[in-house]
Amino acid sequence: MTSMTDPVLELRGAAFTHPGGSGVAGLDFAIAPGEAVALVGPNGAGKSTLLKGLLGQVPKTAGRVRIAGSEHAANGMIGFLPQTAELDPEFPITLEQVVMQGRYRRLGLFRWPGRADREAVRRAIESVGLAPLAKRRYGELSGGQRQRGLLARALASEPVLLLLDEPFNGLDQPNRDALIDTLRRLKTERVAVLVSTHDLELARQVCDAVLFVNREQLAYGPVDEVLTLDNVQECFEGVEVEVDEHTLVVPGHEGH
Amino acid sequence: MTLGDALFGAFALPFMGRALFVMLVLAIVAGVIGVLVNLRGLEFITDGLTHAVFPGLAIGLALGGTAGLIPGAAVAALAAALVLTWLDRAGITSDAAIAIVLTATFSIGVIVVSRSDDYAGELEALLFGRVLTVPPEQLVPLVGVSLLALLAIGVTMKQQLLRAFDPAGSRAMGDSALGLDLVLNAAVALVVVAASATIGSLLVLALLIVPGAVARLVTVRLWWLFPIAAAFAAVAAWLGLAANYAVSLGAGVDLPAGSTIVAVFVLGYGLVLAIALLAGRLARRRRTERTDRAATTVTTATAGEAA
Repeated sequence: MTSMTDPVLELRGAAFTHPGGSGVAGLDFAIAPGEAVALVGPNGAGKSTLLKGLLGQVPKTAGRVRIAGSEHAANGMIGFLPQTAELDPEFPITLEQVVMQGRYRRLGLFRWPGRADREAVRRAIESVGLAPLAKRRYGELSGGQRQRGLLARALASEPVLLLLDEPFNGLDQPNRDALIDTLRRLKTERVAVLVSTHDLELARQVCDAVLFVNREQLAYGPVDEVLTLDNVQECFEGVEVEVDEHTLVVPGHEGH
Repeated sequence: MTLGDALFGAFALPFMGRALFVMLVLAIVAGVIGVLVNLRGLEFITDGLTHAVFPGLAIGLALGGTAGLIPGAAVAALAAALVLTWLDRAGITSDAAIAIVLTATFSIGVIVVSRSDDYAGELEALLFGRVLTVPPEQLVPLVGVSLLALLAIGVTMKQQLLRAFDPAGSRAMGDSALGLDLVLNAAVALVVVAASATIGSLLVLALLIVPGAVARLVTVRLWWLFPIAAAFAAVAAWLGLAANYAVSLGAGVDLPAGSTIVAVFVLGYGLVLAIALLAGRLARRRRTERTDRAATTVTTATAGEAA
């Protein structure tokens, strides 16, 4: 039996390694229900590798990973929003039909969507604020709306754990605000969220904890304690970052 | 002979009725699977399968007569589906490599056929089919193979559409890309098998490609694509057979039936394309007229100001 406060996701000394050899190691953290964790690190730090590892797409090469108390996640337990989805805008499919794809994992091969599935799809579309566009063709939506549509698809499976890979990249302010609202509401619904981002401001706004990675776990803890200049410097050492349209190179620690 | 005779009366003849039945089954199955071929952009692999099936037909015919056609084609088609799925996944889709494989299989087929007594007749039958002389005992295997293809696609339909729309998302949700590709390619192969024995291996492609392309022109609604493609294919097959009958009997011109059917498919596509283009142009003109009127209003206003 799992109690209400048992972590949804727990990694102990875990590593995920691509067959090519690159990967991310030393992962040791846990996310409780309703908790949001920001996954922060420079490009190529292994953020996407970690998320894909949790989805079972990159092999686990060390340690232990438990999702909702089990070594293997059940169907539809994890919702995933990919960083970029290059989808054919001419594809004849409506937003509603895209979101329904989120239910397929639960349905399996032999069942077709029923009333409960349509209801879950309606709720998911509503929760990302796109209800008036449900019947619109997906290719006709704006970039930000498509991104929210894919989030709705991830939510339609009613996941206990939501993984988001750089969801704020290229979003305009209204879409960004809508996404933040959605994430806050998901937390009240006790969904655990792991969101990779460059955006430290976002980490402050919606996340409870921060996980710094660069090929390995560098720091993990509550936002107030861990989101420090020292940790940012260590993680992004020598990396170019963009702040308000200015590019700056993060200097290393003195004495390094 | 009246129009009614060609469209309806002709199919009272046993061989015409049998041809119509076989063509309707094929048209509906190929139409449905053709929509997926279109959405996935798999026209190339489909073309490859139609060529690769040819030696299977030839060897089947050499070993077992017409009863060997379907088993021979099935073995060749499933082997080709495996090879082409693998080539596609390995990223080997260079035209040269494929062309070598395809011409090689084709030449093997021709060599096998050339050993038979009636070389020209057999070759023509394999390439262009014998829809009017489908032996009654082939009906069951033909329908069986077609329904098996339809079943394979029906069971995996949701996942096939997800993979067509969003391959990365499909993998992230735990679907096997290889598994789905094998099922789809095998289903295409089965249709190719069934159709090769009737309208011939060169003309199968039209049956798989044209109805899906027509449906894409007609609608942007996902679930309408399948009935529209199947209905177009069924009507075109029926009209093709009727036209063939009318021309052969009425005008005394002996046209090959398979080719007439394919010609009607392509004519139908041309007609739908013309209507779609015309409708698109009309919609555009209406839009421009509205903008033009708006522009004229603006110009007049500016001219008024200038005056």
